[in-house]
Amino acid sequence: MQFTIRYLSRYLYESDVVDNINALRVRPASTPTQHVDDFTLRLTPEARQYRHEDYFGTEVVEFEITRPHRELVIDALAHVRTEPAAEPTDADWAAVTEAAYRDAGSEFLVQTDEAPDHPLLAELERALAGATGPLGAALLVSELIPDRLDYRPGATYVDSPLAHVLDIGAGVCQDFVHLGLHLLRGRGIAARYVSGYLYTRGREADAGPHQVDGDGQPSVEVDTHAWIEALVPQEAERPRWIGIDPTNRGLAGERHVKIGHGRHYADVPPIKGVYRGLASSRLEASVTMTRV
Amino acid sequence: MLAETLTDGYAIPDGCYDELLGPDGRAHPHVAALARALERLGPEALLAAGRRRDAIFMQQGITFEVSGSDGERRDRPFPLDLVPRVLTAGEWTVIKRGLAQRIRALNAFVDDVYHSREIVRAGVLPWSLVVSRPSFARPVHGIRAPGGVYTHVCGCDLVRGGDGGWRVLEDNVRTPSGISYVLENRLAMTRLMPELFAGQRVRPVDNYPSLLLEALQAVAPAAEGEPTVVLWTPGPLNGAYFEHAFLAREMGIELVEASDLVVRDATCYMRTTAGLKRVHTIYRRLDDDFIDPLAFRPDSMLGVPGLIRAYRAGAVAIANAVGTGVADDKAVYHYVPEMIRFYLAEEPILQNVPTYLLSDAKLRAWVLERLHELVVKPTSESGGKGVFIGPQASAAELEHQALLIQASPELFIAQELVHLSTVPTETGDGRLAPRHVDLRPFALFGEEIRIVPGGLTRVALQEGSMIVNSSRGGGSKDTWVLEDGDAPEPSVPALAAREPPRLPDVRFGGWHGQAQQQQ
Repeated sequence: MQFTIRYLSRYLYESDVVDNINALRVRPASTPTQHVDDFTLRLTPEARQYRHEDYFGTEVVEFEITRPHRELVIDALAHVRTEPAAEPTDADWAAVTEAAYRDAGSEFLVQTDEAPDHPLLAELERALAGATGPLGAALLVSELIPDRLDYRPGATYVDSPLAHVLDIGAGVCQDFVHLGLHLLRGRGIAARYVSGYLYTRGREADAGPHQVDGDGQPSVEVDTHAWIEALVPQEAERPRWIGIDPTNRGLAGERHVKIGHGRHYADVPPIKGVYRGLASSRLEASVTMTRV
Repeated sequence: MLAETLTDGYAIPDGCYDELLGPDGRAHPHVAALARALERLGPEALLAAGRRRDAIFMQQGITFEVSGSDGERRDRPFPLDLVPRVLTAGEWTVIKRGLAQRIRALNAFVDDVYHSREIVRAGVLPWSLVVSRPSFARPVHGIRAPGGVYTHVCGCDLVRGGDGGWRVLEDNVRTPSGISYVLENRLAMTRLMPELFAGQRVRPVDNYPSLLLEALQAVAPAAEGEPTVVLWTPGPLNGAYFEHAFLAREMGIELVEASDLVVRDATCYMRTTAGLKRVHTIYRRLDDDFIDPLAFRPDSMLGVPGLIRAYRAGAVAIANAVGTGVADDKAVYHYVPEMIRFYLAEEPILQNVPTYLLSDAKLRAWVLERLHELVVKPTSESGGKGVFIGPQASAAELEHQALLIQASPELFIAQELVHLSTVPTETGDGRLAPRHVDLRPFALFGEEIRIVPGGLTRVALQEGSMIVNSSRGGGSKDTWVLEDGDAPEPSVPALAAREPPRLPDVRFGGWHGQAQQQQ
């Protein structure tokens, strides 16, 4: 599939702010199944862009606006082509205990977020106990979470701990992913947090408002999205990172456009920034994906 | 003569090496003159000097906070024992070479871990060990420190076993503290006990601030004229603030806090009354986590946003470099002898204390059986936190520790107990008794590795205790390294102290965070 993705964030401050310093992770990644033809980023006020690839391979753009301003616009445009990944196979549980597997999984085997003893967590763990193999477990996680938790924007914050998500039994994709990571790592499966964009057109549950642009191409309003990649041992080949989406159930596919991955959200946030000033800010953020 | 007076009842604990008396009950030759001088002084003079010491330290603020039995916190003069510890030139040469070798290897390891990972590819050390260290700093992956130096200031803790041999107990390559006590102790001793120095050729330590400044300037990115070096302190509430202020004053550099530093166009500046001034080297005395909220903890608004970007651009040197904590982790310590062989193709001059990693099931079972005779330490703590000493533990404590290990073996290491050497120490009545000590020499790595002679000797003031931390009843001693008639260390001219200018207020106040949740 081919997409044009426009990431637009507009921060409005009540009065002047200075030293607005940010790190962006919004550029789609280049992977064997994803090609980035073009990426441009425009900032208003204009600022010099510093780019580097972080530890996990995600491109980071940093910038600073030091002079007083009341508005910051981040406008990124990307053209991306995606291909479906080869069908994954499953293996038996013994495969995830092998030294080569654990070596490949390394830091993605280690829990990052503390999870309290919680009846809902225990219930999910029990339900997962019946999984036939690592791939089965990953797919089961992508079903169990939307089965037992409500998708409810506004119920959680950017840094809500798992305990809070479990308490209210609801959250957004970021929370579902953190919970999924915890469950998979608990079973010895290496799993990582993926940040990206999801083209949701045609899905009844969570499709955004539709519009059609000048060339008659379907555009949808989406948000940045998060899903999971689990390291699944494969028959006669090396373990492979398989995308699963606990917000939308099942495998991640051609509609999922990856930005990057990390151990958890904090390793790959779309924007991380600070500014100085006495003003509070308002954010107008949108992501528009157009199928080309 | 000595045994009849000052050291009446001087009883060396079993299995320990005493640095005053040999097995034959006679003083080691290199301390014989000091023993005679102490003898001439007598207990009364020693006690009187002690009272003068406390008065001077209180007056100068060389104190530390303790909680009394009533729970109230009060300042106590830092307990400097008035009997110096003496090392021979020969001993010091071995220590100095051993430390320089070790620090070269640790520095190479830090560079390797954040770049090509050759030691992992060679199978010497598992990558899973590195990535599971909390101190492994992903934000500095791929950043080469200016001059290739990461471990600018190192304070390795050395101990001396029952055979008198020196061993490294742990490495400190983040922000080791204690050097101010070394300098203050020497100054106090020359004033309080001048008669002890008579006829002794003690190597000076007072050039440390000059050597430190030289090292910090040596790693500075290219500057027109003299590079600007600053000392970054977390502030007056920090336990080592005295040392931060002391070193800044001695070096004649600015003592700054986060709000005094700012990054513009990937260059670091300091705010001054005359505007922004470029900073080339930051000697920081705070943890990685609080350096840059964009790179590390986003909830920390203490840092300098964008500093890691300036660092990545090579525009500023940070000492010690960001991410060095991965090299002094207690589980990584186990591999330091292998690092020396791998990076330097040399045999270690200083040995480790035998250490056991507990992730291996067989080794773990063997350790659990011997728990009552071993020391157990959490891998990622420092300052004596959470240290378990088997021989001193009750049955309940042993059982509790065994459970902790079984629950998370990777969080602990076990070590053989070292019977720390003893040194004559004044016990409060003017008489001397053997007390356990360790040694923290301070090494500086700029153009080359330099180590001021001696270091901080910490002493456990309680009889039989091996806990030397000052927060837990430890004191310190002036540490002498004697000349052996060879040419002395080349001297570096002392710097004139000067008052740093006052920094202006910041107009826009504190930082606000900016983030977006993924929905």
